[in-house]
Amino acid sequence: MVTACAFGLTACGDYEGGLGGGYSSDKSYDGGFDKKHLSQLQAGIWVDPNGCDHWIIDDGVEGYLSARLDKYGKPVCSGVAPPNQTVGDFKGGSNVPDPN
Amino acid sequence: MRKNAVVNTLSNAIRVMASIALVAAVALQASAADAQTKSQQGRDKGVYVPTIWVDPDGCEHWVMDDGAEGYMTPHTTRQGIPVCRRGNVCGVMNSDQFFATNSYRINKQGKVRLAEFFQNTGAVSYIITGHTDSRASDEYNMRLSYNRANSVAAIAASTGARIADVRGYGERMPAASNNSAGGMAKNRRVEIICIR
Repeated sequence: MVTACAFGLTACGDYEGGLGGGYSSDKSYDGGFDKKHLSQLQAGIWVDPNGCDHWIIDDGVEGYLSARLDKYGKPVCSGVAPPNQTVGDFKGGSNVPDPN
Repeated sequence: MRKNAVVNTLSNAIRVMASIALVAAVALQASAADAQTKSQQGRDKGVYVPTIWVDPDGCEHWVMDDGAEGYMTPHTTRQGIPVCRRGNVCGVMNSDQFFATNSYRINKQGKVRLAEFFQNTGAVSYIITGHTDSRASDEYNMRLSYNRANSVAAIAASTGARIADVRGYGERMPAASNNSAGGMAKNRRVEIICIR
């Protein structure tokens, strides 16, 4: 792991406790360099090929994607951008460098 | 002596077979109750307790960080309705003020008010949903509420606003009880959801 960090592999910072014992059942925290409670995640929008919005979050080595729904449970297809386009700074919530 | 030895050998064989059967039975139970796959054999035993992330609309999502993987899915009720801490309904039109009974034509004054609303609100787009009280048939109310929502959407579009969706829910999504005149008046409405 030290070697991986020395060679500049971006994922090494988030490999907290992953070697050996595994993780506890409490999945509510992000550990590593960019540690935080997951309620702090910073999202943008990804428009799917049908034109409907999803919340997208790049949090260092973790990625999240979840549907944007209206109060009736229907997909929100806002037209904020063309299909496949992203909007907003969805990589801004983590200081872990990420090649993409 | 010789006879005894034969009996002993037989009973030993039975005992071995019985114990093999027992071990097999225990192993079978263990595999069902314990870890089914490699994924349940870690420190967490395959138990994933999520937390909640609230999206910019105010709605909740289940979220989990599993080391180098992240997982997320909307928090909905069993009926599929998102659990939200605030709503994005930015306008509720009282149908009595905009439409005559059984009509989906918006009066002149109403058209002006609506055009002003859409010009000044400036959302990315709008979802328009029509609703009625519970009088008349469900089928009739579905049609009337949809026609009314479309009338509102047409005015929005004429001001350059983007319409994400138009729906008629009839009497199926009441905002109040239909047991009183006041409740029914509340249910006769067109809701405007602002997508920011």
